[in-house]
Amino acid sequence: MNPEPAPGHGGSEAPWHRVHPVSPLVRGWLAVVAIAFVYGQNTLSSLFGEEEPNPGPDFVSGAPLLVSLLIGGGILLLILLGFFGTWWFTKYQITDRHVNVNSGMVFRQQRQARIDRVQSIDIVQPLVARIFGLAELRFDVADSGSAAMNLAFVKLSEAHELRNAILARAAGLKDSSVPPAPVAPSAAPAGDGADMGSPETAPADAAPVVSAEAAPYISLAASERVVASVPLGRLAGSILLRPSTVFMVLAIIGLGIAMSNIDGFAPFYLLPALLGMAGALWNNLNTGYNFKAATSADGLRLGYGLLDTRHQTVPPGRVQAIKVSAPFLWRKLGWYKVSVNVAGIGGGAANDAEQRSVLLPVGTFEDVLAVLSVVLPAPGVEAPREFFAAALNGSGTDHGFVVSPPRIRPLAPLAYRRQGYALTDTALVARNGALHRTVAIVPHARTQGLSLRQGPLARRLDVVDLWLATIPGPVVPIVRQLDIGSGRELFLEQADRAAAARRQTDSNHWLGDA
Amino acid sequence: MPQEPIDPAGIHWTRVSPSYAKVRMAGWAVGALVTLVVLCVPLVLNRFGVWSGFPLWLAIAAPAVVLAIEIVRLLLIPRQVAAIGYAEREDDLLVRQGLMFQRVLVVPYGRMQFVDVAVGPIDRMLGLCKVKLHTAAADATAEIPGLPLAEGTRLREQLAARGESRLAGL
Repeated sequence: MNPEPAPGHGGSEAPWHRVHPVSPLVRGWLAVVAIAFVYGQNTLSSLFGEEEPNPGPDFVSGAPLLVSLLIGGGILLLILLGFFGTWWFTKYQITDRHVNVNSGMVFRQQRQARIDRVQSIDIVQPLVARIFGLAELRFDVADSGSAAMNLAFVKLSEAHELRNAILARAAGLKDSSVPPAPVAPSAAPAGDGADMGSPETAPADAAPVVSAEAAPYISLAASERVVASVPLGRLAGSILLRPSTVFMVLAIIGLGIAMSNIDGFAPFYLLPALLGMAGALWNNLNTGYNFKAATSADGLRLGYGLLDTRHQTVPPGRVQAIKVSAPFLWRKLGWYKVSVNVAGIGGGAANDAEQRSVLLPVGTFEDVLAVLSVVLPAPGVEAPREFFAAALNGSGTDHGFVVSPPRIRPLAPLAYRRQGYALTDTALVARNGALHRTVAIVPHARTQGLSLRQGPLARRLDVVDLWLATIPGPVVPIVRQLDIGSGRELFLEQADRAAAARRQTDSNHWLGDA
Repeated sequence: MPQEPIDPAGIHWTRVSPSYAKVRMAGWAVGALVTLVVLCVPLVLNRFGVWSGFPLWLAIAAPAVVLAIEIVRLLLIPRQVAAIGYAEREDDLLVRQGLMFQRVLVVPYGRMQFVDVAVGPIDRMLGLCKVKLHTAAADATAEIPGLPLAEGTRLREQLAARGESRLAGL
C-alpha cells in the first residue's frame, strides 16, 4: 500500500462513492444503546425521586426534567454529528488498477490497494448489518502487510457487484476481453464533475457503484455451483469429536475430580469452566453453520454463519499451500478438514484468521476432492482419486510416495511407514501422522523456499527433515525424517523445479495471461 | 569448510569473516555477565548474612553450573561461525548454519521482497555487516551475518538485481 495515493489521478475516470448512511450506527449501536441505557436509568430514577442506587453525576440526578432532556438531546446530537462526520468523510473509488478508500474525520486516512494484488474478498454481515440489509466488504492485499482493507457498510447487492468487479479486474479479464469503454454518461451523472468529494457526490447511492465498463464482468461471476455443503448433524458431530473438545472435556473431568477432594465442593463451582466450553462450542457452531462451498469463474466461494454470515471468495491462484487433516476420532466417520494458506489471511494478527483459512470445516472424501479440484485445478497426477486416497489414508510407497527409512522406527513407531512425500507434476505432497493424519500440498510454483534441518538424533540415524517455506498460515508443510541421501537430492531438485514452475506462471493475474 | 552430511552435493560454500566470532563473543559476554550477576545475588546476600536461610551449596552450585555452560558456549562460537556459509546459484541463494542443529536454506531470488543490510556497533568497529533477504515466508528469510562491508554491499546489489529480473510476485 502506497503511503501517498493520488486521488486526483484515478478520480477523473471513476466516481467517488460513499458508504451507506446507516453504517456508523451499525458499527456503533452497542455504544449508543449503552449510553442511552445508563443515561435513561439515571434520569428516570432521579425523576421518580427514588433512592439513587448508584448516584450519577450531580448535574444529572439533581436536574429537573427539562434540563435532563436537553442534556440527553445534546448528547444524542453530538453522537449523530459524529456519525454523520464519519459517514461524510468515508469515501471509496474503484479504478481499473486501484481501490481507494478515504476515511477519518480528524485524522484523515487515505488507503490505496492495487487490484492485481488482491488476494481474497469477503462479504461479511454481522447480525445488525443483516437486519439493515447491509454488508461489509473486506479484501486482503498482498503488499499491505497484515491490515486488510474494508468497506463498511454498503447494500448487499452493491457488495456483490463490487466483489465481482474487483475480482474480474484482479483476474486480468480486463486486458483480454473488453476494450476499455468510456464511462457512459448515464452511468455516473454525479461523479464526473465531483472527483474530490464536493457535495454533489452525496446522492451517490443512487448512481450505480460499478461504472458501465465493468458490467460484462458481472454476468461472468454470476454462475456458481455448490460443490460441498455441511449438514448440521455432521457439523455438530465434528465439533464434539474435535481434539480440542475432547481435551476440554478431559480437563473439566480432571478438574472436577481434583476439586471434589476439597471440603464444601459443589458441582456449581465447575460452572465457569462449563460456560467457557459452551462458548467455544457455540462459536464453532455459529461460524460453521450452513457452510457451503461453491465454484465460480473467480474461484472458490464459501458462505457460512448462523448469526453473522460471511461470504468468502478464494481465487485459486492465491492459494499458497493446502492441508487436509483427519483427527483421530473423525477417521471412523470418514471426515476431513481442509485449510489453506492465503496471503493476508493467515497472519495470525486478525482474530478470525483461523476461521477464514478453513475451506471445508468437515467433509467426506468426495467433498475434499471437490474442493481440491477448485483450489488445485491441475493436480498433476493421472488418477487423482486414488492418489489422494493414498495420500489421506495410505501408507507405504504406493502411488509414488517416498517414505522414511525403517531404521527410524524407534523415533516414530507408528508413523514411519506413512510419513513421506510424493511429487506430482504441479505440487509436492507431504504426508504425515499416524493417528492425527495430515496431508500438506504445496504447488511447485508457490514454493517460497526450502530448508533441510537435522538435529543430533537425526544425524545419528542419517535422516533429515525438509521444511517447505510458505507464508504464515495453518499449513506448515514438513517432510519428516527422510533418508539423508534422498533428502539432499530432493532439496536441490525441488528448488530447480520451483524455479522452472515459477517461470511459467505469473501469479498477479490468474486468468488474464492464460 | 568441512562438508557436512546435510550439505547438498556440488555446492561451494563461501564462509563469512572469522572475525564475526568477535561480534558473537561480545554478545555472549554481555549475556553471560548479566546471567551470572543475577545468579550470584543469593551468594552475596548469604555471605553478608542478609539471607542466611538460603542453602549455601545451591548459592554456589547455580552460578558454577551456568558458568560452565557459558564457557562451553564460548568455546563453540568460532566453530559455529565457521559453520555459517552461503552460496549463490543461478536462481537461488543457499545459506547454511548450525553445528548441533544444522540447517540449509534455499531461497529463490524471485521470491525476494526486500534486502536489508544491518550494521551493529561492534560490526562497525570490525567493518562487518549483516545481509538479510526477506521473503513472504518467515521461514525463508535468509540471514547472512558477518560479511565484510564491501562483500555485503556487493551481495545486496547482486540480490536486488537478480530479484528484479526473476520477480515472481507471491
